[in-house]
Amino acid sequence: MIGIFITFIGAILVLFLGISKQESSSKNLSASFLFLAAILSLVEALGFANFSSIATWAPKTMIDFSQGEMMFVSLLAAVTSAIIAIFPSSNHKGSDKLGLMMLSLTGAFMMIGANHLVMLFLGIEVLSIPLYVLAGSDKLNLNSNEAAIKYFLMGAFSTAIFLLGCAFIYGGTATLSLTEIEVRMSIVGHFAEFPSLVKAGVVLMSTGLLFKVSAFPFHFWAPDVYQGSPNKITTFMAVVVKIAGFVAFSNFLQAFSALSGWNNQWIILLSVLTIIFGNVVALSQKSVKRTLAYSSIAHAGYLLLFLITPMQGNMWVLFAYSVAYALSTVVLFYFNDKYSTNGEFGFSMFTGLFHSNKSAAILMTIALFSIAGIPITVGFTAKYYLFTSAFDVSPIAVCIALIGSAISIVYYFKGFKNIYEVDINMNQLHASKIHWIVYMMVAVSIVLGMCPYLFERCF
Amino acid sequence: MLNIFQSLDISHYIYLSCVLFCIGLFGVLFRRNAIVLLMCIELMLNAVNLLFAAFSEYMGDKDANGQMFVFFIMVVAAAEAAVGLAILVMVYRNTRKTDVSFLDSLKD
Repeated sequence: MIGIFITFIGAILVLFLGISKQESSSKNLSASFLFLAAILSLVEALGFANFSSIATWAPKTMIDFSQGEMMFVSLLAAVTSAIIAIFPSSNHKGSDKLGLMMLSLTGAFMMIGANHLVMLFLGIEVLSIPLYVLAGSDKLNLNSNEAAIKYFLMGAFSTAIFLLGCAFIYGGTATLSLTEIEVRMSIVGHFAEFPSLVKAGVVLMSTGLLFKVSAFPFHFWAPDVYQGSPNKITTFMAVVVKIAGFVAFSNFLQAFSALSGWNNQWIILLSVLTIIFGNVVALSQKSVKRTLAYSSIAHAGYLLLFLITPMQGNMWVLFAYSVAYALSTVVLFYFNDKYSTNGEFGFSMFTGLFHSNKSAAILMTIALFSIAGIPITVGFTAKYYLFTSAFDVSPIAVCIALIGSAISIVYYFKGFKNIYEVDINMNQLHASKIHWIVYMMVAVSIVLGMCPYLFERCF
Repeated sequence: MLNIFQSLDISHYIYLSCVLFCIGLFGVLFRRNAIVLLMCIELMLNAVNLLFAAFSEYMGDKDANGQMFVFFIMVVAAAEAAVGLAILVMVYRNTRKTDVSFLDSLKD
């Protein structure tokens, strides 16, 4: 709960304090607010301090953070703080973008802690509405305009589908509280067939959430929107929206655990299709940004595998995967942003990186190892945990996921190939210094890769 | 006094909302003018509002949760329309068109 308050108050302060200053002057303020939120949520999640007096301000039936959910809040706040700190700020006046990013993050926290369908809906909207604005924040760039309008139309459309699902579930269970739904569903499960209204509601609400996490067949907006939005916002979308979406999705499906046998069938199918589609289409992409977009679709497929496992007490697997995904994605987007010239995102931007800047090349190699799931990085351990826990439910889906991650190595190695190639005409951008936070993030991904038991102990 | 709600079965409301929702859905899928798309999305949201209000009325002891949800949907729909129209104005300034099929520059 403390995380939500600090982020929200910070967002309002940053919005108004930076009204006439440059964006860069508010950058440190907003990054430190988010870092504070991350540290305090982590402290509370690990049980070193108790801020429950703040939590009493909000009714527990609406929003309530369990220990595991606080870990997610901490992760997302830390990642956003890093994104704000490492990406260069734009030249436009005003700190509105930073404020909107923080408000959007508040929505992500509401989604994570939601205990009630109204809260879940509000969380999704508070997350999305600032993002529609942010996607189009590069006002004179036609690509950014197009990304904004596509994201807006798809987002609003998926919201409507999500709401129809809410209405059906309300009609079928006569309640909107997720805990109450769980109780009622388990009672119904013992006596009778589930009402078809509830089943339709679950499918429709899942459709809305699948849109948000960009899983097949609702992924089509993602590559375009990721490509058109400014780099900083793309990173935020790829990491925060996806992780918050999956936490909300797993909380939502837990309430319908009585229906899990029926749910698992279509989730496995979608997961397999998402993995195959994301990885195969990523092979033919020429732009780094689009490749990363398709790779994030494939990662959504791996994460869907998590939803078929028994989620109670297993949330640390999702957390481990989120950490791995967030760290490597942010680092890769950072390099993509740093070395691209005039909105060109071809793989050739990395050519000769190893010869002109050795430390950057090594950092990027480790990030690529991590996202591809190669050992001693956190990406490998997270994938290992995820696949082993899903193996009991559906061995075939895990086999396909393994084939998918083997395919993914092909397009990640396109990056390697360019890094270690010798280039005669040196890219001037390569010489510039790397932000120290990037070093930290790569170090963390190696440490967590070598000591994976840390994840289990946090929950 | 004869209550109009009691004289109609709930299924009528479900069918009506589904029909309204589908009109909006097909509008979104097949129309290309961004303003019409926005109107279709509003129609979908209002179909949901109708369904919530009907369910709330038909619950045993007239559960108010559904009606509360309707207010939240209205507020969010207004916010969304404001942002959406602002984005449209921005696009119109750059392209002088409100047709979404015109925007297809993002591809590989």
